[in-house]
Amino acid sequence: MTGVSALTGRLLRSTLRDDLPFAVIAPVGFFVVFNLALRAVIDTGPMSYAQYLLPVVIIQVAFLGALTTVDRAAQDQRSGWGLRLRTLPIPALAPLAARMLYCLVRGAVAMLAAIGAGYLFGFRMAGGPRDTATFVVLVLLFTLAISLGADAIGTRLAATAIAEEGTASQLLLVPQIVLAMVSTGFAPLAAFPQWLHPFVRYQPVSPLTETLRALTTGRPDTPDLALTLAWCLGLLVVFGTVAVRMQRRAG
Amino acid sequence: MIELDGVAKTFTGQVRALDGVSFSVPGGTVCAVLGHNGAGKTTTVRVLSTLVRPTSGRARVAGYDVVTQAADVRSNIGTTGQLAALDGQLTGRENLVLFGRLRGLPREAARRRADTLVDQFDMAHAADRRVANYSVGMQRRIDIAAALVVTPKVLFLDEPTTGLDPRSRRMVWDTVLSLSAEGVTVLLTTQYLEEADVLSDSIVVIDHGRVIASGTAEDLKRRAGYDYCTVSPVNPADLPAVLAALAGIEGAESDADANTVSVPAPDGVGTLSEVFRRIDALGIELADIGLRKPSLDEAFLHLTGDSAR
Repeated sequence: MTGVSALTGRLLRSTLRDDLPFAVIAPVGFFVVFNLALRAVIDTGPMSYAQYLLPVVIIQVAFLGALTTVDRAAQDQRSGWGLRLRTLPIPALAPLAARMLYCLVRGAVAMLAAIGAGYLFGFRMAGGPRDTATFVVLVLLFTLAISLGADAIGTRLAATAIAEEGTASQLLLVPQIVLAMVSTGFAPLAAFPQWLHPFVRYQPVSPLTETLRALTTGRPDTPDLALTLAWCLGLLVVFGTVAVRMQRRAG
Repeated sequence: MIELDGVAKTFTGQVRALDGVSFSVPGGTVCAVLGHNGAGKTTTVRVLSTLVRPTSGRARVAGYDVVTQAADVRSNIGTTGQLAALDGQLTGRENLVLFGRLRGLPREAARRRADTLVDQFDMAHAADRRVANYSVGMQRRIDIAAALVVTPKVLFLDEPTTGLDPRSRRMVWDTVLSLSAEGVTVLLTTQYLEEADVLSDSIVVIDHGRVIASGTAEDLKRRAGYDYCTVSPVNPADLPAVLAALAGIEGAESDADANTVSVPAPDGVGTLSEVFRRIDALGIELADIGLRKPSLDEAFLHLTGDSAR
């Protein structure tokens, strides 16, 4: 445990210093820009676009945060620092655990920044304490799941030329943009062509943002909660298994 | 304290990095592993520090098997690699505290230990700056200090002085010698023969993944065969004539920079008088003539040359 807490402390100290501005500016920037650009274009019925938009901004930023994990995991694997780490009497999974704790802290900061910006534009957390708690837990679950996936990729790629250039994370830019854009996070299902509906409806970002949104409205029904949980827990188990395996193999 | 028995390592799809390496290092001594780039020095250190699993053979460090008892090995060793193994975004002191914590020291003890090391390594002026802004020499010093937060039984130093200025190199040497005096077993790799000569109680020469020679520096020099007879003419212009006079003796070489011609002297004084007779016959005035032991450089070239043949 000392190992995990020392390594997490190290990331908070050394990485968050550089990471924090991005973790705050990205959600605020995304929210402000998308809100201004799209609120007149996208019809979200009686709900304000700020209210509609906020969940997907949080998810988008969670994706971007996960991307930085790719490079961090690769770095921990290939640098002199990472080599020495593996000669220390600490559990093999301690570095992974520390990186994940760091991702959760970073994700929480980004979520708070997005909500803060949302409040300036009329977004409200109108659900009760239980809804709000569920909202936070879902965001962190999803952040953890995709961070594990990103970490596994970074660890796997550590020995390749891509990681050497420090551009491993860019590999994941495209899928992450597709998932966020082609979801009901930015626009309701009706805005997409019919043939895309099955993908839009069931890919993870749509049910997740639908659920998060429902949790902010104070309405009791969250029709997508089961699908959302299935996605979050499923990704968590799959990516978690792969990440642990990659870390063990690398160690 | 360190034992290798037929250690081999083949990386997937590549040549054998290590091909049956065996040697041992007694406790409290300094062993230098000498070899060219790619000879297998770093792989040897990585096997011993549990980073690389040997394909075959066995290795023990501080009494523990590096494969089956890796955790016990890790508790007893300190390592520094060729890359500075530090977090550049943290200060030198923060790095030392971090490594203390990772070695299981409580927070307060880790802090005290870091302060001690900062003083010991003469780093007080820079300890609170980010490591990324350090010179190479200062990084190396903190790097070695980080391997000592808990005094290890065995310390591995992979090319600890590569790229250092003479003063920093001297500091690293002093550190190694004082650790050895405290009873720490040190295994270091180096390409510098002088370094191996100055620091180590024993030398292992590795080439193409094999041990081609081992022993003390004296042993290796003796193993290189014979003494050398070296002559130096008063007038450097006579150097080619001296070389020509000695051309009949196998292995004659001239060194224009040093203004000398050297020939192997298997007969010792007999060879020396033969050399003197030949040059004296030409009437060339000599500034110096003498017998000397081969330098470790010559011994090394001789040994690796043999293995290549």
